[in-house]
Formats: sequence, C-alpha cells, structure tokens
Amino acid sequence: MSAFTDRADAALADPILKIAVERTAGTAEAKRTIAIDAFPDFEAARTRAAAIKDHVIAHLGPYLEQFEANAVAAGAKVHWASTADEACKIVIDICQAAGAKSVARSKSMLGEEIGLPHALAEAGIGRVETDLAEHIIQLADERPSHIIWPAMHKTREQVSALFKAKHRSPHVEETIAAMAQSARRELRTQMLSADVGISGANFLIADSGAVCTVTNEGNAELSLVPPRVHIVTAGIEKIVPSMPHAIHMLRMLARSATGAALTQYTTFYTGPKRAGDRDGPEEMHIVLVDNGRTKMRDEGLAEMLRCIRCGACMNHCVVFRQIGGHAYGGTYPGPMGAVLTPVLDGLAPNRDLIHACTLNGKCQEVCPVRIPLPTLLKGWREKSWREGLEPTSMRAGLGLWAWVATRPRLYRLGTTIAVRVLRLLGTKGWIAKLPLAGGWTRHRDMPKPAAQTFMAQYKKARRP
Amino acid sequence: MSARDAILARLKGPSPDQAEADALLVAPERPAVDEAALEAEFLARLALPSVNASHDVIGSMADLPAAVARYLAGQGEARTLCLPPDPRLTACDWGGFTLHDIAAPDEAAALAIARRGIAETGSLIFETSPAAPMLPNFLALHHIVLLAVRDIAPYLEDAPLTGPQPRAHYWVTGVSGTTDIEGTYVRGAHGPRFLHVILLRN
Repeated sequence: MSAFTDRADAALADPILKIAVERTAGTAEAKRTIAIDAFPDFEAARTRAAAIKDHVIAHLGPYLEQFEANAVAAGAKVHWASTADEACKIVIDICQAAGAKSVARSKSMLGEEIGLPHALAEAGIGRVETDLAEHIIQLADERPSHIIWPAMHKTREQVSALFKAKHRSPHVEETIAAMAQSARRELRTQMLSADVGISGANFLIADSGAVCTVTNEGNAELSLVPPRVHIVTAGIEKIVPSMPHAIHMLRMLARSATGAALTQYTTFYTGPKRAGDRDGPEEMHIVLVDNGRTKMRDEGLAEMLRCIRCGACMNHCVVFRQIGGHAYGGTYPGPMGAVLTPVLDGLAPNRDLIHACTLNGKCQEVCPVRIPLPTLLKGWREKSWREGLEPTSMRAGLGLWAWVATRPRLYRLGTTIAVRVLRLLGTKGWIAKLPLAGGWTRHRDMPKPAAQTFMAQYKKARRP
Repeated sequence: MSARDAILARLKGPSPDQAEADALLVAPERPAVDEAALEAEFLARLALPSVNASHDVIGSMADLPAAVARYLAGQGEARTLCLPPDPRLTACDWGGFTLHDIAAPDEAAALAIARRGIAETGSLIFETSPAAPMLPNFLALHHIVLLAVRDIAPYLEDAPLTGPQPRAHYWVTGVSGTTDIEGTYVRGAHGPRFLHVILLRN
C-alpha cells in the first residue's frame, strides 16, 4: 500500500470528514451554479479568460520585465527566486534585516507551496495567520485541506473545541458567529502589532507594477497596511497585462470560487507608503517565484499555468468530495493538485495519486480558464508508464492484454471463455465474489455478463 | 547566473503585441447594467445579501453630519467618528460629534469618501492619499461612505482612475465576511460588520 492509498483509506473511514467536506463543498457548488446561471454567456467568458492567460504565458518573460520595471519605479523592491528554498531565504533575510519578531500572514497558497510557515518557524520569527481558516489550521497545527477553505475538513464542533482550548477570551454561545467573533478578538491586536505583513498575489499588473489581493474578510488589508514592511510572494504566472485584464479574471474568480459577483475587498497595492500618507508600509518587497513554473511551460504543462486558484475543480470532484484535501498529500488538493503535485514533489512518490481520478471531466467543465485537467492527468499517467514507475503486475497484465488484443481470434476465444466462467460465478444478475479481484467485490457486486460476447451477438444479428 | 537571469533566459520570447492584448478585451462578457438608471442599479446591488449595505440620500454636503448622526443613532452608537483629514469633510459642521483622525484598534465608526461607485457590483472605489488613509475603513465596526451620485459608473472597467497610481486602489463590495466555518456566512470577520452609504445627490 502506498502513502496515498493509506491516506485515502483513512479519509474514507472518517465519518466526520465526509460531513465537513460535504457541508462546504456542497454549498460552494450550489452557489456557483446560481452565479453562473445569472451571468451572460459564461462559456464565452471562460474562453476569453483562457485566451488572456495563454497570451500572458506566451509572453511571460517580457511581461515580467515590464512588471518589474513598473514596480521598481513605484518604489517596490523586486526579488527573483528559482526555487522554494531561495524564495524562503529571501523572505527570511528581509524579515531579519527589518528586525522582525512577528509577521502577520494573509492566506497565500504560494506561501504554503514554498514552505514559508516552516521557514519562519525555523528562523524563530513569530507568525500570525490572519485568514480565519488559516488561523484554525495554525491552532490545530495542520495543513490546509482546500485552497479557498483551508479548514474545510473541520466541523463547527471541532472549531469550537479548538478555540475554547486556545483563545484567551473564547466564545460562550455555540454559534459560528460567536466563534468568528472569538477569532476577531484574538487576532486584531496581533495583526496591528506585527513587524512585517506577508501576502501572496492574486494578480500582478504588468503595466502598473501593482499587486492585487482579494479577500472577503479584509484580513489582507489589516495584515499589510499597519506593518512597516510588506512582502509579497507570487508565482510568476500571476501576471496579467493590465487592470482591465485583471477585471475579467476577477469576474471569473469570485463566481467560480464562492458564487459571488466579486470578493468583498479587492486591493491593488502599488509600491510602499507615499510622502504624506498616514498609513501603509515603508518598504514593499515582491518575490517572484518560479519553483517549476518555467519547466511546466516548456514541458507540456503550460495550460496548468492558467490556473487562478479558484477551487471549483475540487468542489466538483467526486474523489475530493469523498476523501477531502489532506489525502492528496501535497500543497494543492483536488484535480489541480493531482496535476501540480508531481511537478512540486516528484512523479515517483505520487504515481498512485495521478490514478485517483475517474476522468469524468467535471473539473474541466467548471474550470473558469478551461484547463484540460483530465488530459494533463493522462499525460502524467503516460509519463509514469514510460518511466517504468507502474508496478510490475500492472505492466505484465497490460502487456499480456496487448498481446492477446492484437490477435483477434485468440481474443474472441478468451472473452468467450471468460463470459462463461463469469456467468457460473453469478447469481441473480450479480457476482458477489470474484477470484483475483477480491478488493473490488469486497465493497460492491459486479454485474453478471450477458450470455454471449458483443462480437457473438453482433454476428448473430447480422445473419439474415 | 542570478535567479532573475535564469528565469528570464527560460522565458525568452517575443514582446507582446499591444493590439493582441487589447483585442482580448473587446466586448467583455459582464452583467447587464441599465446605464440610463445608474443610481437605481447601484442601489439594487448595494441591497443584495452579498453586499448587505444600507443607504441614505442627502442633497448637499451641509446635510452630511445630520445623516451620519441619524445612522449612528439608529445603530445605538455614540456620535464618535473617525474622520479623515479631507477638507471636504472637515469643512462640515460636526457640532455634537466627538471627532478624531487616527482610528483606534476597536474603532466604532469611520467615514470616508468613495471616488466612485460601480453599478455592476455595488462596489465602492477608494484610493489612498494623505487625505484618505486606508486603515480606518478596515478597523471600524461601521464603515460609513459618502458617494456622489455623479460618481456612479456602470462597470468595473470604470473603476481605474486616470492619473498617477495611488499607493493603494481598493474596492469595497460589502462588509468583512467569512464562510470559513462549514461554509456558513458570518458578518464582521475582521473588519466592518456594517456598511452604510450616504448618496450625495446634487
């Protein structure tokens, strides 16, 4: 059994997890459907969004240089990192140069991807996660299980117990509103006293050098405006040519993620505090992170760089809805995670993850930037086969099947015998136990085959 | 080779064609807005559960303090207000109010002028400047916003203002909310729990 299979088995056996995932993902799916139905021609809007991203990916280098020049002109410092470790080192160096004892962090999946929480802890820098879900995760010492709702795997009862154990002045009333107020009391002073604010970026605007963040809680602004230093860590694919391009993507993002027309707070930061400004950081640093993205562009995964991290693919995925996000094992769960995890963590340890997909195509149908996720997953499966990562039993079995399948007479003889044997095993239309496939029939029955093979029936039907 | 050089070397390619980038924006799909009835369209979006803002209408700037007092009284709040150092606001007669211009960590109410209102979404557009700090609008429990009816525009594409980019350009489309616990919506997660728009109709 592999690590993924173990995790998936454990997730399937956890009845509370299923309830928690279903409550949030089910709501998200319903809200998205209403929002998309109310939007004029969402299909054309998806095509446009994909075209905008493809245009950027084709000209990524020049756009990054344009962004850098404009951000620097606005007073920001731009840093470049090829790897996760380089990115973390840049952030830690900036924090240490600022004499930072504590940082306030606004949720960023890129930060999770590069291991920033761990790097900050190793450097002895206190970290306050300000997004409510990330705060829950931090208190529970866990990893996010969803890119929009990182604490999706937690029920309200579990959150309540956690806050009562960890908050200084926890809620009394057992309501979600009271729990949110408990977190508000706990976090506000910590946000206002942080030395550095760290965020990701939803979009980087090439023609102005602005960094766009979106939140519903307003925690990004409360984390990034008071501290003396603002550090942005952003994947290089976050570039868009201009604000109107970002506007189209924002329309797609909010509807696909939460079913809203727009997030409550959408902010474009251009450089540090200006002369005379009463608030804002004195320094703004932007760390542009590659971490495998240029390789993805060159090696057949360019379409994955369209991803705007809305989470619609996982909300609609039959596998994710059963096992939740943690079972995936990487930073990113769900269909987009199954494609990205082999890039970030290697294909060999994730060989079974890329098979944990029914290829029903639902993720591709809902993706606001039309990423062909099933096709990309099939690409990983082919690569896994070419590189000899598939187990010997699978290779031998498929080899045998291919040998027989290219010999029609032998194949028909084999299927005729198989049908007869299988029919002997079945009762009342179903086979309850199947030799050599006990794993399959342990949880469900297999339909008893028809009396004759397809080819036999076909020939019979063609006879005059 | 620096990381910058290494990344850019891998991404070498032709410079983007401006016409190609512009062509991607021709006739964007977006919700329909009746441009002949912008105020009504804006107010309809403002009242949606997702935005959840209340509103009042005044005829002139002289009516502003009374409108703010009316709102605070309705909410059971004292006449204490964080007022940014904008001469259009400080010129009003705030008799009876306790004013300050630095927001407290548990600020009750802050007033700000929106640069624009967007009918498509009910968004309020703000830009930072020495007269328009950002933090009060996120710290206050009650976010009170003055918006001139003439500044209501139809679409989000109308949000960017001409001229030099401010330090921060931000859109407020409702109150601070969260669905992080079981997908259930809660108001007042970190920032304002109430948003009140005072429309100036002259």
